[in-house]
Amino acid sequence: MFEQIKEFICNYVEVDADAITSESRFIEDLGFNSYDFMSMLGEIEQELDVQVNEDDIMKLATVGDAVKYFETLKK
Amino acid sequence: MNKALNRTLQDLVRLAAEEYGSKTFIREKAGKDISERSFADLYSDSRRIASYIAEKFGGERIHAAVIGPTSYAYLAAYFGTVINGCVTVPLDAQLACEDICELMTRADVSAFFYDKRYEPMIEAVRAACPEIKAFICLQECEACDTTLGDITAKYPEAELKQLDGSMLASIVYTSGTTGKAKGVMLAHGNLIDNVNCQDNESSPEDVLLTVLPIHHVYCFTCDILLSLRYGATVCVNDSMMRITMNLKLFQPTIILLVPMIAETIYKQIMGAAKAKQLPPAAVARSVFGENLKGIFSGGAYLAPELVNGYLELGIPIAQGYGMTECSPRISTASFDDISTKGDVGKIVNGCDVKIVDGEIVVHSGSVMQGYYKYPEATAEALDSDGWLHTGDLGYVGDDRRLFITGRKKNLIILSNGENVSPEELENKFAAVDLAAEVLVYAEDGVITAEVFPNADECSDLAEAGAKLNEIIKEINLTLPSSKTIRRLRVRDREFDKTPSRKIKRAQEHKGNIV
Repeated sequence: MFEQIKEFICNYVEVDADAITSESRFIEDLGFNSYDFMSMLGEIEQELDVQVNEDDIMKLATVGDAVKYFETLKK
Repeated sequence: MNKALNRTLQDLVRLAAEEYGSKTFIREKAGKDISERSFADLYSDSRRIASYIAEKFGGERIHAAVIGPTSYAYLAAYFGTVINGCVTVPLDAQLACEDICELMTRADVSAFFYDKRYEPMIEAVRAACPEIKAFICLQECEACDTTLGDITAKYPEAELKQLDGSMLASIVYTSGTTGKAKGVMLAHGNLIDNVNCQDNESSPEDVLLTVLPIHHVYCFTCDILLSLRYGATVCVNDSMMRITMNLKLFQPTIILLVPMIAETIYKQIMGAAKAKQLPPAAVARSVFGENLKGIFSGGAYLAPELVNGYLELGIPIAQGYGMTECSPRISTASFDDISTKGDVGKIVNGCDVKIVDGEIVVHSGSVMQGYYKYPEATAEALDSDGWLHTGDLGYVGDDRRLFITGRKKNLIILSNGENVSPEELENKFAAVDLAAEVLVYAEDGVITAEVFPNADECSDLAEAGAKLNEIIKEINLTLPSSKTIRRLRVRDREFDKTPSRKIKRAQEHKGNIV
């Protein structure tokens, strides 16, 4: 899942894939704005065929948070 | 629609029902299906809700708040409130419970229409706002007192009273420069003036995808009220996450955006074109669909480079300018007259603009009545002749084109169109002993707090920075996501001050990012 999400991230922001870690913060470290972050979540949602709850989005600050979240949704 | 007959929101909903009847007014997702409601449905349901309010409150002209994402139910609650002379208070769906309660108390709200997702906070609202006598959930809900469905099933269509354009229709909260949200009072006539100020802006063949927050007047006037006037169909984007798929699903002809979204979609198109070695215009068509006539942009300044970029993709992007206090449009552009000169469109019909000491000052039928129970702020914004001081600096060029050159008042305008008061965020540090001095501003489009730490609390700057970052996380939990502080700078010296010991907002020396 981590590798998959890394791939999505690289499609949205200009960042060296090797520099992305579980601790990387989407907005502060990777340079996402609120809209492209939402847009990426929508794409992951569609790709994984899961349903993201909007109330959960605020909790997804780091790449690790997103990996854990989508892993839980997939179960 | 005959403009001369359209003087109040009641007229607008009635005339739309008479003229467009069973045509689809709104299309929205309902699980895996798409539900459609007509212009006639909206008029009928609004009158049923008006009956309920009249019975519950003995015909009193109450204030009713409404909160939730855009939906048919939200709009029925809104128009059901205003159609017979009551006043609606649309609230930001991102606000925390205590802020919602504070704004409802200040706006003298006695009925509350809410989206089902707010059900868990209703007990807290009941306790904090005892003056609210009616709680109505917008969706089906077994645990709720009353639902909108109960009302529209049970109540008859109300006989409507004659309304007047000068009657208050809505109190819309907007960020104040002193940190206290101000309730902009918009009369029926204000909103209708803005709906009527231009002609031929849309038609019954048009399909809009509405993506912006419905409590913003920009979205409400331009997506909803204009669609009622012209008979266009509004499709609801159910989440910011799903704009791309909803563009494909609904194939809109018109879409209203804020610059942040327009810019991000543009970058995505250019990135995909490069990666797949396709012409960018072809990618743009696959993203926006074949029917798109153009995009309207407002809420914040749109760079001319982006206007040019979209034109090269074959998509006109028309920029406008306005503010809640002006219902909101002051200037606008049309798809066949796109300017790349950096202006924000032409001043709308019926709006007079003068420049006073560099500031744009406007007078029109769209200008608000004032701020609700806030005479000091009203006196600052409106002069005795009713001219509105916008707080923006600019000039009027040829052909009534308006140019913005800066801001007089201290307000952060983010590229997503949100207005943020720096003082409101600085006040959040009032009880933080570690922060001796704080300044909040936007830097690279990011809300930044710059702090001079209190050496008595912590003399090591790195340690102070780490502690402040933890404090900011706590502060952010109390803020809507659009207002959260995303960057911290810690400085090693006091801020420069004015002679009256206020921190100078423009500082040459900046602290380090932590």
